[in-house]
Amino acid sequence: MKRIGWLWLVVSSALLASLAAETRPQYGGTLHVAMRTAVSSLDPADTGGVDSFARRSLMRLMFDTLVTMDESGRVQGWLATSWQASGPQRLQLRLRRGITFHDGNALTAEAVAASLRSANPSWNISVDSDSVTIEHDNSDSLLLAELALARNAIEKKMSDGKPSGTGPFQIAEWQPGKKLTLTTAESCWRGRPFLDAIEIEMGKNYRDQMLALESGKAEFIEVAAEQFHRVSVDGREIASSAPMELTALLFSREATSPDDKALREALAYSVERNSIRSVLLQGAGQPAGSLLPNWMTGYAFTFSAEADLNRARHAHAQTRSNPTWTLAYDPNDTVARLLAERIALNARDAGVTLQPSTNATADLRLVRIPLASANPSLALTALASATGLSVAKTKSDSVEALYASEQALLATRQIVPLFHLPASYAASARVKGWTVNRDGSWSLADAWLENRQP
Amino acid sequence: MRIAVYNSAIPDVTANTVPRATRSILPFIFRLCFFLIVVSCLAAATDWSVPEQQLARKIVAITGPGAVSLSVENRSSLSRRDNDIVQNGLRSALEGTGLRFVKPEQSAANLTIFLSENASSYVWVAQIQQGGGAELAVVIVSTPRAAGGSSAGEAVPLSLRKTPLWAQESPILDVAVLEEGATPVHLAVLDAERVSLYRMQGGRWQQEQAMEISHARPWPRDLRGRLIPGRDHLLDVYLPGVLCHTAGSPPALSCRESDDPWPLVSGATGGNDLAVFPSAGLANGASTVVPRTAAFFAPTRNFFTGVLTPAVGKFAIVPHFYSAALVPREKYSLWLFATTDGQVHMVDGISDQTSKFGWGSDIANLKTSCGAGWQVLATGPGISADSVRAHEFPDRDPVAVSSAVEFPGAVTALWTEARSDSAVAVVRNRETGSYEAYRLAVACSQ
Repeated sequence: MKRIGWLWLVVSSALLASLAAETRPQYGGTLHVAMRTAVSSLDPADTGGVDSFARRSLMRLMFDTLVTMDESGRVQGWLATSWQASGPQRLQLRLRRGITFHDGNALTAEAVAASLRSANPSWNISVDSDSVTIEHDNSDSLLLAELALARNAIEKKMSDGKPSGTGPFQIAEWQPGKKLTLTTAESCWRGRPFLDAIEIEMGKNYRDQMLALESGKAEFIEVAAEQFHRVSVDGREIASSAPMELTALLFSREATSPDDKALREALAYSVERNSIRSVLLQGAGQPAGSLLPNWMTGYAFTFSAEADLNRARHAHAQTRSNPTWTLAYDPNDTVARLLAERIALNARDAGVTLQPSTNATADLRLVRIPLASANPSLALTALASATGLSVAKTKSDSVEALYASEQALLATRQIVPLFHLPASYAASARVKGWTVNRDGSWSLADAWLENRQP
Repeated sequence: MRIAVYNSAIPDVTANTVPRATRSILPFIFRLCFFLIVVSCLAAATDWSVPEQQLARKIVAITGPGAVSLSVENRSSLSRRDNDIVQNGLRSALEGTGLRFVKPEQSAANLTIFLSENASSYVWVAQIQQGGGAELAVVIVSTPRAAGGSSAGEAVPLSLRKTPLWAQESPILDVAVLEEGATPVHLAVLDAERVSLYRMQGGRWQQEQAMEISHARPWPRDLRGRLIPGRDHLLDVYLPGVLCHTAGSPPALSCRESDDPWPLVSGATGGNDLAVFPSAGLANGASTVVPRTAAFFAPTRNFFTGVLTPAVGKFAIVPHFYSAALVPREKYSLWLFATTDGQVHMVDGISDQTSKFGWGSDIANLKTSCGAGWQVLATGPGISADSVRAHEFPDRDPVAVSSAVEFPGAVTALWTEARSDSAVAVVRNRETGSYEAYRLAVACSQ
């Protein structure tokens, strides 16, 4: 497929959805959402929580970032209207006027600086009357991509310690990890949302979410990638993001010997990603030989995802040892066990012995890593950080420099890419106007509930 | 990303249709001309020589001059034509650096070039295999992808014809044709931030002026707005809670917070309070005098409040509605309101009759010399996105008098133009995400 695959998928979902009766957006109603992640903090700057698509989605309901990234990966103004370099590695961002936090206080440069400092203690930030200037050690484009991350959303702590934002919804009730109720922000700078409220139940596995959707208790849920095709029936509306999650094998330590490297190479060549994708993932996602997906970089196809048993056996034949490695997987992830067992079978064909386990202290782990950003340089840096790998800092934003960085990461043989998976969502037919962002999060800012009279 | 569709049908009503008359060759000519214009514009817009030269230099820095084999694979959305242009350009650039192309068995290096892409750029990847070794050297160049495009046209019997007016990436709220000969030559385009004036010069649209819209309150989501040509000034601009007027030459735009009602009857503003139209369905040329009815628009919402001025007979208030259309009769005017509950209210001044016609939320009326002289355009579901169809009202049931005109996405606005015999439809193109404005006009059947 020559065109970018995810685009087709998302558009095709929209085509399915469009055949139902619809009208202009209607106001009112409470939307009920179920999600798997039990978010424990609503502070965007709280880096203690694990990054997830759900967390990003929640943050965007309540908070705004200074800039956003559009569908083509271009940076667009949001709370900031413009920006310019004010010196080498100094970026000045001018703020939009007339915006207020949910508590009624004006969005000021001081408030923005305080929020950014809280999320990035190492940044040097100064303020002017209506602008903030950030000194940084990255390229301007990388800094802007970073500012578009949900973790850099602008918040203000209220007197009771709760965060206040400028987003379309404000917090009405919060039971950490369990339930969040949001009400509409009437004075939202982008216009009042169509919904009156959103109620979000957390910690629901995919099965419970589906039951909730079918019983009418939830109107918007997450869908496991491998369930996407099964869910796309019965008049539900479904959509997926671009492939934004990397499934990979991550070794707990560096390769310490030529034997170790050769065994890891044998393992990487042994995995039959295409057949696993067809059977276990029900055709979802894309087999991956690279850390970043092709839609993001344009070169991912140069890292082969094809199994090559001859090369795997050849690599294994170079070694003198044959250890048994334990492969850990998440016991709460229903498909992870099947993936681990299948990978162990493939590895055995190449002479590598893997023992699937739920023990956290294994030799390698089957991991799912949401890519942090649609900006490939930022995504690779964050991926390296999340996996404990080190990536050389480059001053160039070129695709070639990115390729070199990714190639160097893969050459460590500490991570074996398996699949790039999209984030998928389903909603009842009466939920309209919701969207899936490029970064895998969902947006309900423009969602509305159809309420036609029979 | 999912794309919202505004205007599919209320189920359970099947619209009547008239038989199709003979197809004209005109639509084919329109399409062909448009296609050629678009293709030539796009071809002219892209200069591949810079990335071609860059890639050639990087390749020869590894291979050195000499004999190489070359294969090129297109893995991107480049058209076949652009692919051919790029391939020829790459070959020339490589030859210019001292490389000669030979068969693989005669080459010192095998060169494979992939024309790939990512979300924002074309990415060209060259894999170089030298001396029969397994190791591949990789060099890469990227060049940003161009954005943009324009629009299209077609026609059917008693036929609703769509003619492209304007296309842009940001949402279009309305387009007004300010001057035209055989085709429009002067346009005003309304979006959330400005009114832009464009003039056709030398076969191309040139921006003449951009007038910023000032507003204190945030715009509602699903923003709507109207451009109404003035009798003694260029334009009035109606937006939720804001009214703007142009004044002077070149025109300047002044805006103020206002809850002034929006005109529902087409035609320039600033004249008297009555509009005279021929009556629908009357062959004797009798005319109907129609008050210039206006309606209040909710300043923080996407609908009219339902308050009318002057009242339509005894009805000063109707339910919240998205759009309205007028059908003048001999002794009264029938108003149709597409209300927010998905129904159509037919108000004749004495009664308010509610029906479901399977329409979307946008309707508009046309005064034409075809058929009964008045048609109501209504949005509805198309084959893959929204469509618009013309209807007449012999009585209280609509009769479809044209085939549905298909659009490439959701219709986000449908307004009767000031000249009354055409309407402007704005569509969000489902594939490109851009907004496209079309003029819809009825052509009489044979």
